[in-house]
Parts: sequence; C-alpha cells; structure tokens
Amino acid sequence: MFCEIDFMTSLTIISDERYLQHDTGGGDHPEIPARLQAVYQALDNSAFSAKFSYAAPRIAEREWLLQAHTEDWLFRFEEAVLSGRTFIDHNDNQVGYDSYDIACLSAGAGLAGIDLLEADKANNVFCLVRPPGHHAEKSIPFGFCFLNNCVVAARYWQQKYKRKRVLVFDFDAHHGNGIQSAFEEEKEGFYLSIHEHPSFSYPGTGYADEHGLGDGKGTILNLPLPPGGDDNQVQRLFEEIIPSQLEEWQPDAIIIGAGFDAHVADDMSGLHYSTELYQDIGREIKSWGQRFTGGKILSILEGGYELSVLGDSVEAYVRGLLKP
Amino acid sequence: MYISKHMTSDPITVSSSMLLPEARALLNEYHFRHLPVVDREGKLVGMLTDRDLRSAYPSSVISDSERRLIYERVEKTAVSEIMSTECVFLNTDSTLDDALLLFDRDQMGALPVLDNDLVVGIFSIRDLTTAYKSAFGVGEKGAVMIGIYDDHSPAIMSRLVTLLEEQGVPFTRVLRVQDTKNGDSIYLRVNTFKIAAVLNLLEDNGFSVKRFT
Repeated sequence: MFCEIDFMTSLTIISDERYLQHDTGGGDHPEIPARLQAVYQALDNSAFSAKFSYAAPRIAEREWLLQAHTEDWLFRFEEAVLSGRTFIDHNDNQVGYDSYDIACLSAGAGLAGIDLLEADKANNVFCLVRPPGHHAEKSIPFGFCFLNNCVVAARYWQQKYKRKRVLVFDFDAHHGNGIQSAFEEEKEGFYLSIHEHPSFSYPGTGYADEHGLGDGKGTILNLPLPPGGDDNQVQRLFEEIIPSQLEEWQPDAIIIGAGFDAHVADDMSGLHYSTELYQDIGREIKSWGQRFTGGKILSILEGGYELSVLGDSVEAYVRGLLKP
Repeated sequence: MYISKHMTSDPITVSSSMLLPEARALLNEYHFRHLPVVDREGKLVGMLTDRDLRSAYPSSVISDSERRLIYERVEKTAVSEIMSTECVFLNTDSTLDDALLLFDRDQMGALPVLDNDLVVGIFSIRDLTTAYKSAFGVGEKGAVMIGIYDDHSPAIMSRLVTLLEEQGVPFTRVLRVQDTKNGDSIYLRVNTFKIAAVLNLLEDNGFSVKRFT
C-alpha cells in the first residue's frame, strides 16, 4: 500500500550507493565503506523507519565548490586520483580512482537537501555521505576530508537562498578546523563545536579562546571537553552555555556536522558519550529548529568509526530528531 | 632560536624631551604599551610604558579642579621625568631562552633590543609566546601531542623514534621531560588522525602510553 509521507514530521535521508566506492585502501584505515553500511542497517531496523523518505544527492556544481575551495585544489585533487595516487599530502588522506567524483557527490548532498528544505519538500534532512568534510581546508585535505561538505552547503544556503545567518553545529569528537577557517574572519556564519580538547586530540585546533578574527569576532564558539568528557558535560553545555549564544545569533539556517566518534566505544577519541546521548543531542537540535528555522534542519554525516556502535548512535540521533 | 628573528624591527621610539600628551597619543594610535626612549644617535636612554603614563595622568575619582591642575602639569611634563632609566634589554644575539628568563624574572611586557647600544627592535612577551608556539607546534593543524611514561629503559629514545619512522608515523616534535613529582615523560607531536592506531602500536612494542581518560 502506498503511504504518503508527511514531510513535516519525517526525515529525508540523502545517500547514494556510490559513496561506498570511495576507496581508502583497506588496512587499518578507519574511514571505510562499512561505516555507511552499518548506518543503513541500523536505520532499516529502526522503529522510526516508516518516517524515513529517501532522496538522491547530486554532484556539487563547480561554482559552489569554489565558494569553499580554491580552483588549484580542485584540479590537484582530481589530477591526483586520476593519476592513480593512493593518498594526497598525508597517508591519512587515502583515495581511489573515483574519490574526486564521489567527494563532489558528497558535497552535493547538502545542496540537494537545501533545495528540498527550501521547496518545503522536506523539513529534516540527513545526508549520509562519505568522504566526510569538516577537516578539509580551502586548499588542503586533512583527516580523511577533501571537500568541506558543511561549508559548501553553508555557502549555497547563504548565497542562493539569502539565508545569511547560518549556524553550523558540529558535535563530532574532533574540531572542524576547516569550518572554523571558512567562517572565522567574516560576520556571517556561526560555528559552534563541541569536541575533545585540542591538547589531547586531532587536529590540535579548536581552543576555547578562539572566537573569530576581525569582522568574524564572536562567530566561533569552541567548547572543548577534556578526555573522558561525557553525557553530563554535554548536557551542561546544552543547558548553560549554548542557549544564550543561539538567542544572540538568531540563526536563519541550521547545518549539523553530525559525527559519532565521541562514543565511549570509539577509540578515535577519548570522549565517553553513550549511545543515548545522541538521542538527547537530536532532541536538542530539533528544539533549535523549532525555535529559529521553522523546524528545518540539515544534518551531514562527519566521523564515527566504531562499527559496533555507529549505526545505533546514528539511529539514536535520528530518534531524537523525530520524536514528538 | 635567536630573538632577532621574532622581534619587531625598527620600532617607534621617542626622545626624552617629548611631552607626555604626544607620547600617549602614540601609544594609543599604535596599540602598544612600551616605547623605547632614545637620544639623538638612537641609543637607549629609557623606557616609557603605558603604566608610567597612567600613573602620571589624574585619577578618575578626584575632583574636577584637581584634575585640571594635574592635566596642566602633565601637558608640560617631558618623557624624561617619568621614564624608567634602569632598563633591562636584549641584544640581537639574545636567544628566546634569554628572553624567557628575563620576562620570568622581571615580569616585563616587552624589552628593547640593542645592537651596539642602538635600539634596533622590540621584543614582547607575545613575540615570545608566538615563537614558542611555533617551536612546539601548538595549534598546528593536523597534529596532536601524545605522551608515554619514561622508564629510562635502554635506548628508549632511539627505539621510540625508530619504531615510528619504520611504521611511517609522521611526527614533528619529541620532548623528554624530567618530572620528579609526576614521573618522567616523553611527549611526541604526531601528525596523523589515526591516533588510536599509534597508541596501540606503541603499547604493542612495550611502551607505556599515557591514556588521559
């Protein structure tokens, strides 16, 4: 029986089988296709699966990639994969022959999602993509990231739909240095990140005293947690620090860098989040949407590497986003 | 590690006969807090700081009439009357460590840098922290500091470095710290996202890794 989905209470998942083809070379590389498969499986089994609808990403158009990256880097990236290189700049950044195209498709998921949100054909979009993006700088790949999916989406939202006061909230265990670099010198675009303290964690950036530079003063809020940082500490930030910042910023669009590697079982960070915390994070973000953006939220998958908990963590987050 | 690579060269200097309002305007305009005072040849004769100036100017809690009187006097006062003349200074061949020890001892904010008595630069505590920040790689993108316990086992340093090099783990700093209170440690700034793999590699090879959680 055909069931019409009520977009206002559903989750639109944007993903594509081609994301599985970004080849990071096997071995001990943590950013592998099985991550997405674990997420797909957990969402298939979710009690909320009736509330999911699915949409396709598109390849991000070059004009939007260039809002976040230099032409030099786009050429260098494409050329590196086509010439058969297995990594770029650092062997963390493993690539295969198709990685450039797939990264463009990863960056394009957000654009497709924003179009759906703006056309009222979706209210809550989750882009399940790889490669991730938040470490990618304007012209340098870092930490498994090549194109900065969140920044490309933010630029698209700001320029095509004139939603200037974009908030990017990043709850990945690692600081999104590439997002901060993009926003820190301009007055539009607010980057809020909860991550493990940079003295103990990759990429060694995201100190609490960095609030933005020049015109961008006040547009960066880094909330580092010490190793062992747990649910209670995150809850405290949600209760005591973040609300007043959001009230002051008054976002007109919300992008979430959704990373799940702060889970206690994920050895890519020293943070100790429970699976259930991700439901609370989802619920909190939902309330921000209701408060500021008519419920509209765009989430983009970043990290999360422990396959035994990644799927359930994502499912918990989705539950939080959807629960009435 | 010479300070001359990190100092501000050709700093703004003043003469000892300059009147205080002009000196204050200079500090305000350029947002710094230390002015070397020089003679005609450019030799150091004193240092003027914003603190010296603040003490010379009237307090905000005194009456208007008193304030006017003090202002009148301040406007006719020359830098020479309030500058400090016993100046601590650095030379162009001073090292970052020299500067650190002086800052630590005298709690100064900036020191003039001399070359044959002539003022050729100014070196601030901010210059020092910037230099050490870069020396230690603090805030460098794509890197993280890890620690292991130093048990002083034979050839621990060479074993450590060889292991990382052989396994292709990039690193940029190695720091061996003696600490009688908390135990001796070796810190490494490794440039990889795959930290867990590095920690496991070290443990598998007999090193005792600091797990901070």
